[in-house]
Amino acid sequence: MRSADYVIKRVLFAVVTVFVAVTLNFVLFRAVPGDAVSALRCRACTQQFKEAERRELGLDKPLVAQYWLYVEGLLHGNMGSSLRTEQPVLGELWVPIANTMPMVILGTLFSIVIGILVGVTSAWRRDTLLDKTGLYTALGFYSMPTQWLGLLMVFFVAGAIHLPTSGIRDPTLGLLTHASTWAVIVDRLRHMALPSITLGLSLYGEYALITRSAMLETLGEDYVLTARAKGLRNLPIVWAHGFRNALLPIITLVALSLGTIIAGAITVEYVFSYPGIGLATVEAIDQRDWPVLQAIFLLLTLSVIVFNLVADLLYVKLDPRVVDQ
Amino acid sequence: MNGSGPLLEVQGLHVWFDLAGGRELHAVQGIDFDLGPGERMGLVGESGCGKTTAILAIMGLLPPSASAAGHVLLNGMDMYEAGEDSVRPHRWRDIAMVFQGAMNAFNPVRRIVDQIVEPMELHEIAEGRAARVRAGDLLELVGISARQASRYPHEFSGGMRQRAAIAMALACGPKVLLADEPTTALDVMIQAQVLELLTGLTRELGLSLILVTHDLPIVAQTCDRAAVMYAGKIVESGPTEDLFHTPRHPYTRLLFSATPDLYGRGEVISIPGTPPRLDREVLGCAFAPRCDMAFEPCPSVVPRTLPVAPGHGARCHLNDPAMRSAS
Repeated sequence: MRSADYVIKRVLFAVVTVFVAVTLNFVLFRAVPGDAVSALRCRACTQQFKEAERRELGLDKPLVAQYWLYVEGLLHGNMGSSLRTEQPVLGELWVPIANTMPMVILGTLFSIVIGILVGVTSAWRRDTLLDKTGLYTALGFYSMPTQWLGLLMVFFVAGAIHLPTSGIRDPTLGLLTHASTWAVIVDRLRHMALPSITLGLSLYGEYALITRSAMLETLGEDYVLTARAKGLRNLPIVWAHGFRNALLPIITLVALSLGTIIAGAITVEYVFSYPGIGLATVEAIDQRDWPVLQAIFLLLTLSVIVFNLVADLLYVKLDPRVVDQ
Repeated sequence: MNGSGPLLEVQGLHVWFDLAGGRELHAVQGIDFDLGPGERMGLVGESGCGKTTAILAIMGLLPPSASAAGHVLLNGMDMYEAGEDSVRPHRWRDIAMVFQGAMNAFNPVRRIVDQIVEPMELHEIAEGRAARVRAGDLLELVGISARQASRYPHEFSGGMRQRAAIAMALACGPKVLLADEPTTALDVMIQAQVLELLTGLTRELGLSLILVTHDLPIVAQTCDRAAVMYAGKIVESGPTEDLFHTPRHPYTRLLFSATPDLYGRGEVISIPGTPPRLDREVLGCAFAPRCDMAFEPCPSVVPRTLPVAPGHGARCHLNDPAMRSAS
């Protein structure tokens, strides 16, 4: 039952955090000088028109009333309408999110797998050439600005292996003949490849470094020595005993970074003109489209909270000590 | 199994640790001993004398920064020459270990029973349900209820974990058990229980035991033989009785007088000075600077081990008539 207590506690904590995040998100957009309407620039925007707009958006009401309106809207899944297209924000963001997700997931999987393999190998072969190569390569990619890495990919890699450098689909695909589902999928994957790899490379360094240091710690533990004394082979010692315990800090890091990856994809999507949530953010900022921006901010915050909750719940499965604390 | 001869033979065992700057620390400087079936030997010395290193070297578990030389023969098989692949099947099955600070010998995320079963299944001693029953029996043997077997290490107290570590060491019915300070973290009552248990097991199962400790009364209580280590060398070894009543090396004698008596009789005398650093060569007898009986040859001539009684040897010039008459 103690694990049930723990789960309830974590979920409640997440709910409270969501509430705080929603409130801060509201305050943030009210704290910036000027409001949505004052940013409007057009000949027809007379004072009267602006007043009318304010009334329509509820900006003339007291802040508390505006806050309740905002919360009520959220509860109904209503995040307002885009100022640019006047369409509901959620519908506007649906496509960019659907575009970003597979790209980000692919890149993250790539970085997790490579990062963990490099980190574990480095720790196991500590102080060898292999370790140093892995360590410095990881440090190198970790310190590279993502957009710069993206540009390197565009200049030096894309041409060499014939991968598209921008957009999400080949504009000519399906124009003359009907494209098969398979052809569409391949086209999508080809467009996803470079942004995903760029994202993966920029993330893997951090995973490799954390995995290496976590592994160095667990491999020095007495239970690893016991496992060797028991006559276990290297592979089960490293994975079943060493990595199994190193998994805890790694999960924390992965959860934290998964939450921020969507935001982190901004630079990658910008470099590759990939029509995802990152590019949508940049456009919304350019256009002062604050309902969209507000919704994006909320989504980013929510994803951080959700992934942290997932990590907390995974701990219950992974570490029996967590529940007893 | 060859019935005759010692179970474990250690010959000229040396261990060096690489230090920063290309220097080396000579932690174990050539130790020799035999261990017969059912024998209980104590390895005694103060912290840093190389006893734990020697034990790890025997198990072949030294860290990569260490290198070892010499011979460790288990049942006649030279473990250093045989190579890891040939040694691995004998690990835990023939030679098992209770680690210093055995409380951390358990993987915190796995159940106690699974960790005791692990070597059984690995070495095909028992499998599945039978292995779990055996693990429960072993826990009962060390005074832990079998019902607690599926707990996690953190749910056990320190003493329970220590005893569970002994149960784990016995999982495959080893012939040799190396116990490194198995009772240091325990209170006196549990300490007595654990020692009694170890003694009982050597009698019942014919287990040979090497007990590493800095605690002399424990050796007196448990072991048939003892070896006293100082600065990486065995300075005196022999039957426990002889060692206690007629020590032939000043270090052994001083070590005993530095041990408090349970009834508060006699004075506790500490040995002045500190052991020599082992990252440089020690001239003469390593104990000479702290010795109350050092004489002319001690600081310059390295003493050899001389037999002083049947099965009793000491590495001290005082036992060498030639040296005594020369000075």
